[in-house]
Amino acid sequence: MTRVGFLHSLIRPDEKFLINEFQSRPDVKLVMIDDREISFKVGSRGFGVDVVVERCINHSRALHALTLFEASGVRCVNSQAVATVCGDKLLTSVALGVAGVPQPELRVAFTEQSALRAIEEMGYPVVLKPAVGSWGRLLSKVNDRDAAEAILEHKTVLGSYHHSIFYIQKYVEKRGRDIRSFVVGDECIAAIYRTSDHWITNTAQGGVASNCPLTNELRDFSIKAAKAVGGGIVAIDIFETPDGLLANEVNYTMEYKNSIQTTGVNIPQHIVDYTLRAAEHRDV
Amino acid sequence: MTECPLCSAQVQLGADTLKNELLECGECGAELEVTAINPFKLAEAPKEEEDWGE
Repeated sequence: MTRVGFLHSLIRPDEKFLINEFQSRPDVKLVMIDDREISFKVGSRGFGVDVVVERCINHSRALHALTLFEASGVRCVNSQAVATVCGDKLLTSVALGVAGVPQPELRVAFTEQSALRAIEEMGYPVVLKPAVGSWGRLLSKVNDRDAAEAILEHKTVLGSYHHSIFYIQKYVEKRGRDIRSFVVGDECIAAIYRTSDHWITNTAQGGVASNCPLTNELRDFSIKAAKAVGGGIVAIDIFETPDGLLANEVNYTMEYKNSIQTTGVNIPQHIVDYTLRAAEHRDV
Repeated sequence: MTECPLCSAQVQLGADTLKNELLECGECGAELEVTAINPFKLAEAPKEEEDWGE
């Protein structure tokens, strides 16, 4: 019997697919762990589970809970190290850069003045993003100096301190769509196009999902990006450009509810297979 | 059937409904969380926070 800790808060369709898949497996006992209910006794060993699969909605809770679980000797999917890198766009970009994965031009600055100089050197438009954040929230496409000055001031005055770590990405014209690919271990299992009239194509912001055929180029690129951040189960956001693919972001608690029917791939089945292999401490 | 805590409309729940599941009230559109099953209880779902999502 494999005891799988299912770390969660709200159960969305993505989590429900996973729960149903785990419960369909013989010899699996699912132990639900609500991150709003649990407390940790630091220094204790084990939680009576063989593996924890992380499905929190809050990044901060996920990151700290994974730290505590791993410190107590529990293997986690994804690992704390992967969550650390993927949960912070700056760390993700650094990891992609070290691994030689192409990505949009990026500058990072710490003051309004240096950020404005960096933007002017890059040329407009650019996109300002919070280093921590998802679902397309608080993304700002900056088309000119007036907008840059206003947004930088607003972020400095109204935002918490981490909004003054200015993550400045050169805007990439993606012609109405980008790609999200899904990587589980060493395999790129599926991909979707996310299409929108808006420059933000996240499905959480209204982007429409359709199947994206897997090419060898897309497979290899996705796996390389996944390995750059530490591997595991991740979703890669990719821009298509005349010069090739660019990795935009890597997500570690991947959402896939719009992608099962779209791709015809049983994504939760792949996730559960990987998790159970991890529980046995086999190479994943 | 269980009552929406916000608009009192009846919300359909099934045998496969899970504790902590996120639902939408068909009447008022509110996001609801199933806080208990057997018997079912619903509460307004937590509001989106800055570090939500992937």
